[in-house]
Amino acid sequence: MREAASLSDLCVLDLSTGIAGAFCTKLFAEFGADVITLEPPSGHPLRRNGPFADDRPHPETGALWLYLGTNKRSATLNIETPSGLRLLSSVVEEANIIVEDFAPGKIDGLGLSFNALRRIKRRIVLVSITPFGQTGPRAGWRATNITSFASGGQMSLTGDPDREPLVAGGYQAEYQAGLQAFAAAAVAAFNADALEVPQHVDISAQECMASALELYLPWWAYLKRDISKRRGNVLSATVGVFPANEGYLGLHIMPRNWPRFAKAIGSPELIEDERFKDARSRLQNNDELEAIVYEWASRQDPREAYQAAGAARAPIAFVHTIRDLFESEQLRSRDFFQRLEHPVSGEITLPGPPFRMSEVQSRLGRVPLLGEHNEQLYCEEMGLSRRDLARLRAAEVI
Amino acid sequence: MYRLPLHGIRVLDLTMAWAGPYATRLLADMGAEVIKIESIDNWDVLRALTGQPPDTERVWDKSPYFNQTNRNKYGCSLDLSKPRGRELFLCLAAQSDVVIENFRAEVMDNLNLGYDMLCGVNDRLIMVSMPGHGKTGPERDFVTYGTNVEQLAGLCHLTGYEGGPPHKTGISYGDPIAGISAAGAIALALWARRRTGRGQYIELAQRENLISLIGEVVVAFSLNHREPSRRGNRHSSMAPHGCYPCSGEDEWITIACENDAQFAALCSALDQPGLARDIRFADVVSRYRNQDELDEIVAAWTAGRTKEDAAESLQSAGVSAMPVLSVPEVFADQRLRYRGFFEPVSHPIAGGWEIDGPHWRMSESPAHIRLPAPTFSEHNRYVFGELLGLSDDEIGQLDADGITGSAPNRAVHD
Repeated sequence: MREAASLSDLCVLDLSTGIAGAFCTKLFAEFGADVITLEPPSGHPLRRNGPFADDRPHPETGALWLYLGTNKRSATLNIETPSGLRLLSSVVEEANIIVEDFAPGKIDGLGLSFNALRRIKRRIVLVSITPFGQTGPRAGWRATNITSFASGGQMSLTGDPDREPLVAGGYQAEYQAGLQAFAAAAVAAFNADALEVPQHVDISAQECMASALELYLPWWAYLKRDISKRRGNVLSATVGVFPANEGYLGLHIMPRNWPRFAKAIGSPELIEDERFKDARSRLQNNDELEAIVYEWASRQDPREAYQAAGAARAPIAFVHTIRDLFESEQLRSRDFFQRLEHPVSGEITLPGPPFRMSEVQSRLGRVPLLGEHNEQLYCEEMGLSRRDLARLRAAEVI
Repeated sequence: MYRLPLHGIRVLDLTMAWAGPYATRLLADMGAEVIKIESIDNWDVLRALTGQPPDTERVWDKSPYFNQTNRNKYGCSLDLSKPRGRELFLCLAAQSDVVIENFRAEVMDNLNLGYDMLCGVNDRLIMVSMPGHGKTGPERDFVTYGTNVEQLAGLCHLTGYEGGPPHKTGISYGDPIAGISAAGAIALALWARRRTGRGQYIELAQRENLISLIGEVVVAFSLNHREPSRRGNRHSSMAPHGCYPCSGEDEWITIACENDAQFAALCSALDQPGLARDIRFADVVSRYRNQDELDEIVAAWTAGRTKEDAAESLQSAGVSAMPVLSVPEVFADQRLRYRGFFEPVSHPIAGGWEIDGPHWRMSESPAHIRLPAPTFSEHNRYVFGELLGLSDDEIGQLDADGITGSAPNRAVHD
């Protein structure tokens, strides 16, 4: 019997308050790391975000928390009190990674600077996630998802040319920063484990997004050519989102897909058409081709067109609603969605892991209730008595 | 200072376009030795997006997009579909830590280079596949590029102006998202390998990966069975919350007010403190209900100011506000410049320029751009001579047999 790989000896301490930090640590928890989220006694701020089960606001049933808190342990701790800080130091001794998202400097003010933490734990990885990084002019500027999205350039690329720029759906600036923080933290933790190198990982959401501007930034940087003006839903006849008959079809045809695409839309004669024979001529005659594509799309049932294009190996997708995701045969056949019973909200459905590892199993666990693991952490693992817990509670430390 | 975190980790990179190369960019930035493998007839499409006249000399080595994404990597050519090419690839796999590919689901198996085969030559090897839909399921062989992933993951459906159609995001969004996850997965596998001594196989289905970035919407649907509606730049509870016009051509600012205190601060910054007591806007619920009117008031104020001035005023009052930075403005941004985000690079064919450097800031091992992107086949001699011990004659024979080559077949991406 081979020994199973596991991340159970990887301990992550989550002091963060926003989506980015919670997503970062969720991914560690999903693959088996011991993630302890230290919530203020009033509860993690994300517990306040709806929508809620039955539209009744409740700290245990907000969708963001139900999603982002999975597989974690919850202990309450007021780290802004001396008693809380002393307890925190003991937890830090067991941690490999600490994740925080306070305004730059705040963690130093609490006595939890990187240098202070590495004195407690020699090879600690401290991950700081902020809108603009720990340094620089205006590093302390306040931000939310939309203002953060605006800072990294991606918003200027999104939307119709004659309207205001558009923020992407959900909380993409936050999620991007959180995902980058996860991967960076995993690299730093591996390094700390192998070579005993501590690390302060400084993640700027702005930099994360500015690193992902497709060809627009490199073209400006090298050619001084700015082609970044947002162009709505249709970049060209072969790349864009087109209205179909009740729904929408997305095309992303690269030059090598052109013959298959022409066949997929039932117009193989276009392959030999002089106007469209290569990428350059298709660009020159884009308007004519676009008219053909609009007309074709408008007649299609998007689901049928998607299946037909898939079989013909042409990169065409239909725009999936959330219900479409739930009904997708592909996702169902892979058991992607997972149902879970939650003691307060009832049955919920969660998306599966972002990737699958052959040796490290992902977990399906629910979110912890507020302070659910106080006794386990403070008493069983740290040796306090239940009466000590009562004292800490009375003093609003936990 | 310490060596870079992934120093000594060798990655064989078969990926092309953006998703995979973004993953290996992250690994290369962190010090991994990434060897990018192309071939004469299967070369990276980013090399074709040059923005320069097609008759430019060695134009495939001058693509800014390719050269940005593939910095810090080595590059060689090797045709895996030829027996000798495949054999050499297996020799490389025997002395590498990671193999990463983003072909369609069946391609590696068709080459008889699936994980079982690679594991047979090196059981410490970590292999990553990142197909659009995964390796199984009825849609596994569907071709999925760039913007398709967000259409298949629900993000396109969530994005859009109020009452309007679903909207594409500004980039091939699923690509970098898949790349980041792949890099993180590899790091987890490296951690696990220190415990077990063995590598493993990682399957990253790009659409599943992207659904994890809208997970709360999935959970909400399961709670309430309501299809979420597109709401443009508005928020489910904050108001004002949006994107407002500023003075100048196509200039915009984003503003978000989280609570009463910030709204009061906003009203002072607008020099209209009375608004905070106005019955239409005096509490969270009223502001949400009357946000059309509120947006008009905010927009009237922003329209008379530059986006920088407006953001300064609002931020100094304590309100989240940020200009919408265009791509050239990102390149000039003082925050990014202060932190040394852009670094000079000198490329042997493309010349000197400045691009964004490593954005994972590690205090004890700061990363920089060490190498320009490889020209086509630039490191064949290193890979086949130094790593595999082939003689000059043998390396020459590879070229003669078309297994390697000095220039790509241009027709592939025309």
